[in-house]
Amino acid sequence: MLRSATRMLVTLAVACGLVAPAAAIAAEELNLFAWSEYVPQSVLDGFTKETGIQVNYESYASNEEMLAKLMSGASSYDLIQPSEYVIEALVKEKQLIPLDHAKLPNLKNIGKEYWDQPHDPELRYSVPYMQGTVGIVVNTAKVKEPVTGYADLFQPKYKDRIVILDDSLEIVTWGLATQGIGPDGVTRESIEKVRPILTTWLPLVKVYDSDSPKTPLLNGDVDLGVVWSGEAAILIKEKPGNFAYVLPKEGAHMFIDNMAIPKGAPHVEAAHRFIDYILRPEVSRKISEEFPYTNPNVEARKLLTPEQRANAASYPPGNPKLSTFRDIGPLAADVDKLVTDLKAKSGP
Amino acid sequence: MAVTTAVMTEAGGGSPREPGRIGWLLLSPLIAWAFAFVVAPAAIMLVYSFAHRGTLGGVVIGFTLENYAGVLDPVYMQIVIRSLGYATITTLLCLAMGYPVAYLIGRSDEKLRNALLMAVMVPFWTSFLIRTYAWVTILKSQGLLNSVALQLQLISEPFEMLYTPGAVVLGLVYTFLPFMILPIYSSVEKLDGALVEAALDLGAGPVRAFSRVIVPLTAPGIAAGVLLVFVPSLGIYAVNDILGGGRVDMIGNIIENQFKGNARNWPFGAALGTTLLVSFAIIYWFVNRRQRAASSGGSHPAG
Repeated sequence: MLRSATRMLVTLAVACGLVAPAAAIAAEELNLFAWSEYVPQSVLDGFTKETGIQVNYESYASNEEMLAKLMSGASSYDLIQPSEYVIEALVKEKQLIPLDHAKLPNLKNIGKEYWDQPHDPELRYSVPYMQGTVGIVVNTAKVKEPVTGYADLFQPKYKDRIVILDDSLEIVTWGLATQGIGPDGVTRESIEKVRPILTTWLPLVKVYDSDSPKTPLLNGDVDLGVVWSGEAAILIKEKPGNFAYVLPKEGAHMFIDNMAIPKGAPHVEAAHRFIDYILRPEVSRKISEEFPYTNPNVEARKLLTPEQRANAASYPPGNPKLSTFRDIGPLAADVDKLVTDLKAKSGP
Repeated sequence: MAVTTAVMTEAGGGSPREPGRIGWLLLSPLIAWAFAFVVAPAAIMLVYSFAHRGTLGGVVIGFTLENYAGVLDPVYMQIVIRSLGYATITTLLCLAMGYPVAYLIGRSDEKLRNALLMAVMVPFWTSFLIRTYAWVTILKSQGLLNSVALQLQLISEPFEMLYTPGAVVLGLVYTFLPFMILPIYSSVEKLDGALVEAALDLGAGPVRAFSRVIVPLTAPGIAAGVLLVFVPSLGIYAVNDILGGGRVDMIGNIIENQFKGNARNWPFGAALGTTLLVSFAIIYWFVNRRQRAASSGGSHPAG
């Protein structure tokens, strides 16, 4: 409804001679369905100014929410922004349109390491938008001992001082990491191994929050956390010297959020143009400035300030052991049930 | 709906007339609305609850009782029981706090009464989520309440209030209190003062007059208030997430997780939803039946 209202307004504006004729001819649209707080308004405006294509930005807060709306078929999205394990599932179910690399000259800016990921080798269906990690953030003013991994973090002395993501798959993979199993090793057998570990961990947790885990840390309600790297980067930016971000030594989860075109998209051409626009180094830099995740665009990275590049949450030093999630199919329901059970038993 | 029934029950006398043709015409928007937004979604939910889980979310239509078996699984039963506990505590606290307030408002003179009613309703002018987040600012360890208490030297170090079960109950009571006050108020307002005086004249003490006259006469309001508080507090999930730190999952959180969380198990979410709906219908029917039994048992309960 909103979209048709926009169209009406555009038509009205054209009729009144408010919009330049050139733009009026190209009064095309792009229906972007992306994570909330992930695409800067300035980038959308820049794209519209250059191409005349109106961008309708609709947002979601979880991959599953996006899937629910996408699969209901109620809206016609042109561009979606799923994480890597969802890309894998969507490719498996033939729900994505292959990308035309000839229309994406700027694709060459994407770093080498992103061209051979298991979810979409050769980037045939998706283009990395931002990459991030899940790691440990510590309020160094309150916690003096070093915390280098999950085993250091989930200690009785930190009871009621910890915030973690409210995400069952994440939580289970941390437990797996302590057993030497990577985030791609979720199986029916391996999740049972995690039960006793999580039984000791979860009673120590004070807050579960996936949307804004930085808030209880900023408010001083907790001193340690396992959070998205972007959240940690903001903490480090807001209170320099007060917070440290560590990738757990047991191994860490890396996520890649991608741009992809769903089957049935009405504006495939415009979607390609938008992806290529985003891939320009000077545009991509703007995204990094506002949302300090790891930019997969190596040319854009070169344009960042030294402080931005030194933020350990955005660009972890060294060569950390990182791996992505894989699509685990119906096992997701078992993972969720396990964590639901343990949360209920360990709660106050 | 509960309020309407309560008011109708109160109005009491005479058998309800069948609406005429114009009556049906006037009712038609409401019927269409109820069908589109109540009956149809409930039917979809019912169908989904017997379906199989879809790979990318969604459902594969079929027939299985697996989802209902899942509802009875101890993992989820413990959460159902806890949710019932929280909803009961919330309802009792709302009743204990709301009844005196409603009584005072109902018995005060008209000018003051309107002002007080307004005060009860003012919170509705702001979004529920914003009001709940406001409690975070009040309760957090460096928040308003702790700073004031520290300043006044009532406590020596910050008192942990946020992210506790107490904070969840506080949030629930805060959210639902008006839903208890308003229906009780409407009963109290119609309460015939002469009956109370008569009870006192005839030798009943204040306690007896209250329990034998006032409470039975305001019972419809109490019943409506209890339903209006108990039912939504069982299904709500935002308060536990924001004030409880996501530690105390309630049934609403579990349902949300089946659609928007990792589980991606719509049929199970639908089965949980259907189970709640049916339980509410049973509670409603039960309360309503008791109401009817009480009112047909004699219009002067004190007699």
